[in-house]
Amino acid sequence: MAEVNLDKIFASFILSLEDVVDVSELTQIEKEYLGKGSVLSEERAKLASLSNDDKKKYGALLKDFADKVSKKLESFKVDFEKSYFTEKEKSENPDISLDWFSKKGTRKHILTNVMEEVVDIFASLGYTVAHGPEAETSWHNFDALNTPDWHPARYESDTLYLDKDLKNLLRTQTSTVQVRHMQDNKPPVYIVAPGRVYRSDQLDATHSPVFHQIEGLAVDDGITFSDLKGTLEYFVKEFFGKNVQTKFIPHFFPFTEPSAEVLVSWKDGEWLEILGCGMVDPNVFQNVEYPSTTQGFAFGVGVERLAMLRYGIDHIKNFYENDLRFLEQF
Amino acid sequence: MKVLKSWLNDWVDIDKINGDELSLALESLGFEIESRIDIKPNYKNIVVGKVLEIYPHPNADKVRVTKVDTGNNVFEIVCGAFNFDVGAVVPVALPKSEIKDAFLIDKRDIRGVESNGMICSATELDLWEDNSGILLLDDDVKPGTDFSTIYPQNDIVWEIGVTPNRGDCMSHLGVARELSHYFKKPLLDNSSQLNPSIESILSLSSGTIKECNTYAGIEIENIKIKDSNFNTKYRLSQVGTRIINNVVDYTNYVLYDIGQPLHAFDRDKLFGKISVRYAKQDETLLTLDNQNRQLSKNDLIITADDKPIALAGVMGGLETEVTQETNNLLIESAYFDKVSIMNTSRKLNLISDASIRFERGIDHQFQLLGLNRFINIFQQDQHITYSSPVVDSKQQFSMVDVSFSRNEIYKILGIKLENDFIENMLEYLGINYTLTDNDIVFQSPSWRYDLERPIDLIEEFAKHYGFNNFESTLPIGNNKNNLGEYWHLKRSLTDKLIAMNMYEIQTLSFVSQEINQIFTPEKKSVEINNPIDQTNKFLRTSLHPSLIEVYKNNIEQNNQSEMFFEINNIFDAGEHQNFDSIPNQIYSLSALIPSKLTNSDTRQDPTINDIYFAKQILIDCFGKIELKQIHKPGFHQNLSFLILKNNKVIGHLGQLASQLEKSYELNNSIFLFSIDLTSISSEDLINIIYSPLSPYPYVKFDLSFMVPDAFAASELIQEVEKFLINNENVITIFDDFKNEKSRNLGIRINTRSYSKTYSEEEVTDILNQVVDVLENKFSIKLNKGN
Repeated sequence: MAEVNLDKIFASFILSLEDVVDVSELTQIEKEYLGKGSVLSEERAKLASLSNDDKKKYGALLKDFADKVSKKLESFKVDFEKSYFTEKEKSENPDISLDWFSKKGTRKHILTNVMEEVVDIFASLGYTVAHGPEAETSWHNFDALNTPDWHPARYESDTLYLDKDLKNLLRTQTSTVQVRHMQDNKPPVYIVAPGRVYRSDQLDATHSPVFHQIEGLAVDDGITFSDLKGTLEYFVKEFFGKNVQTKFIPHFFPFTEPSAEVLVSWKDGEWLEILGCGMVDPNVFQNVEYPSTTQGFAFGVGVERLAMLRYGIDHIKNFYENDLRFLEQF
Repeated sequence: MKVLKSWLNDWVDIDKINGDELSLALESLGFEIESRIDIKPNYKNIVVGKVLEIYPHPNADKVRVTKVDTGNNVFEIVCGAFNFDVGAVVPVALPKSEIKDAFLIDKRDIRGVESNGMICSATELDLWEDNSGILLLDDDVKPGTDFSTIYPQNDIVWEIGVTPNRGDCMSHLGVARELSHYFKKPLLDNSSQLNPSIESILSLSSGTIKECNTYAGIEIENIKIKDSNFNTKYRLSQVGTRIINNVVDYTNYVLYDIGQPLHAFDRDKLFGKISVRYAKQDETLLTLDNQNRQLSKNDLIITADDKPIALAGVMGGLETEVTQETNNLLIESAYFDKVSIMNTSRKLNLISDASIRFERGIDHQFQLLGLNRFINIFQQDQHITYSSPVVDSKQQFSMVDVSFSRNEIYKILGIKLENDFIENMLEYLGINYTLTDNDIVFQSPSWRYDLERPIDLIEEFAKHYGFNNFESTLPIGNNKNNLGEYWHLKRSLTDKLIAMNMYEIQTLSFVSQEINQIFTPEKKSVEINNPIDQTNKFLRTSLHPSLIEVYKNNIEQNNQSEMFFEINNIFDAGEHQNFDSIPNQIYSLSALIPSKLTNSDTRQDPTINDIYFAKQILIDCFGKIELKQIHKPGFHQNLSFLILKNNKVIGHLGQLASQLEKSYELNNSIFLFSIDLTSISSEDLINIIYSPLSPYPYVKFDLSFMVPDAFAASELIQEVEKFLINNENVITIFDDFKNEKSRNLGIRINTRSYSKTYSEEEVTDILNQVVDVLENKFSIKLNKGN
């Protein structure tokens, strides 16, 4: 009845598994032993010609054979893949101490980073960002800000002028934005104005002819000196950290009265000036045609100074040379 | 300005208050403390000696041998200084004593003469810097006295910042006045009676101009020019002034004491009436520093018989200078106008302690006190005879009442002040006032120029209340948390560009005219009237040159080849878009994309990009844009395009002209784009258009068409999209192949119906229709067989 030796075929099947190097070969082997044209399929085709009894017996034998092959194939596949993956992963063992990718930083200029951070702090207190021209009139930069024409700040040794009559200049402070903004908007006003300012300074470790300031202005009913103090203390803690102390010492600016300088406690018990502030001088409100009862506070902070303090940057030139060795550190 | 604790103590009793407390007080009163030096002896066992004899050294010319009485003994001491005679009282370091920096003094043989120690200079005892020789002490100090008992111990010198509005604090009296309220101690009176014994011979006048309100003088006869007394030398040295001689030192002393600048003339060199006027054009004056000064109509001068003898408040003249031979003096004490003095001193770059005080405004009632203090100090030193002071004064400064509601204090400061505090402060500061239930009425004192308005006095209350004693409150603004369009746009763009691996840079705004000509020869540059640097005296009209410069510098530093962008203003001399009478300034973005980019994976070769990469950056920022070819200076003749968004020009994209690439020595093609940020809004950066996802299978086919050279491939895509408008589509050009014969575009169409699964017949139908549409629309041919 049996025309082929199924055991022998099975043995050759087992033998063929030994040569398998890739899991995809199993499909071929399966086809060879179970698929169309295989010995099994040929034997199955012969079943029809057998007696019922033989058909049943031989059919069972063939089914048994097919099941054995399938099962073996299945378990072989599982084992094969398991050992294959183990070997594969064993060979994949790179030296993770290597850094193939060069350091790139955030790519945002550190001055922008600092300005965004400061703006965010004040935005959370309900301030909007305002801006104004960098090439300005002397009136907006000085007269409107209560700085009369004999004032030393107006000397050509400090200020870059754009004409012989000294009517136009490159703004020396972002306070000009206060004036522009108030001319165009009624109180209440809560603004911060980050931007470039210009001075007649040669570029050295601590001076640059171009630098950045952030001006702040709050004008509203009942704004007091206590509000100014609370606001700037909040800013300092948000920017420098909760453990940094502040102190306010009296100062003088033409456009604020009372005026103060804010100092922060630094390493080694040192106190460092970080911003100037004060209650807006009534003359400034008069110059922008606000009612005489208006009150508010203003402050100004140097962006380069904040960045230099926080990161220990030694030279202001670094901000403007844009050497990638500097840029990619932030 | 430097202030000395012992000197302040002349005016207010602060002797018992320690240095830390005083520092705190000074700072809280608005005197920024720049430095503080606690004076400690840097010597040991120095005694006072009197020189009994001086004789030549037998073997040396450069030293003398002295006999010095040190109380119990007389010692022979060799000394190399020649600035003293027999009878001089001097500090002596005997054997076993120490001078500066613990240098031990012992007996020493100097060329055969045994020296029993040394006679000391101020420098050797680390008192102050003085190279003029031995320190001469006052004649009345007894030999043998321990030097440390006559030299101040535990004194303190502060270098303080005085704000420009507080000229009245530019003296020890002024600072003491502020401290007197802080410590609630009365200000002391140091004026004294004068006993004039001679008639003045000069006539003094304040002239006819209003810029000299008061001109006062006193004549002193039969004086001897010599060293000033020890206390004066000590104090002046500590506040940083050079010691000259008694007359000069005492005028300086009065300046630091009460803030009144004095000037000493040699009376015997003055002829005619002394007066004040403005100089005439082309008048000259030989000043103390031996410079012939060309005067102008704005310079205030002192004249004798109408001839210039001094630059008022700035510097004296050489011809009337006090010298070693001077016998008789005229001491000038005047009140000059702030602005005139400022103009002259700045113009001539002569900034002195006197000019600074006039500039800030001195007490207009102090001219007599100034003369009084001078006589007072001089008299402690030598017997002098002097005239009555002569004063020529114009108008009396009118005392104006300023009145305001007491509520204002609370309204502006947010603090409630007690009556006691208000009254106390006004009294200690010498401010005349009347207090009613509702109002404060006050008058500015003669030394204050900063108390004209209610707010000025409110500031004074705030300061004396102590800024650090204020409560802190936190007002919340507009409650909108709205950053504003300007910031929102800048920030969104910056965030997008850095996410595309571009570095943001910040560069200076000054360039040369030649640089502006490269990309924008059509623009008129804004010129700086007083540039820092003559070669870069224009404001930039384009950000491109700065970007190229930064790129080039980085390559020269052997850094990577990276992409850069900058967002800043560019300027031109045209009219400003929004504001009158200022130059035009356009808020702009510029970016530089080198074709060869360093790969961030250091194992990889650089990536090479073409203009499509730069274009893609624009698309990633601004969404749908159009590019229209245009010729532009500085750019490649073909690769130069206007950028349009919603049919409006927003900027320019192009490749740097080959000629420039060569002259900049870049060895790399450079793509540049610029965007006028005033022409777009942050809404233009939001490119999200949602299409629903079809649940049906996709159909995909690739087609190749032979097209003319000047064919815009984007139109092919647009046409297919139009045809398949009801489907979900991904349509791309996957190949643009050109040879001598033809140009062939490969288009890949990936489409899904929203309503069904396409049958095979339907797919074929769509394919044929697409081919028909494209062939007919553009007169192009499908390449068959591939």
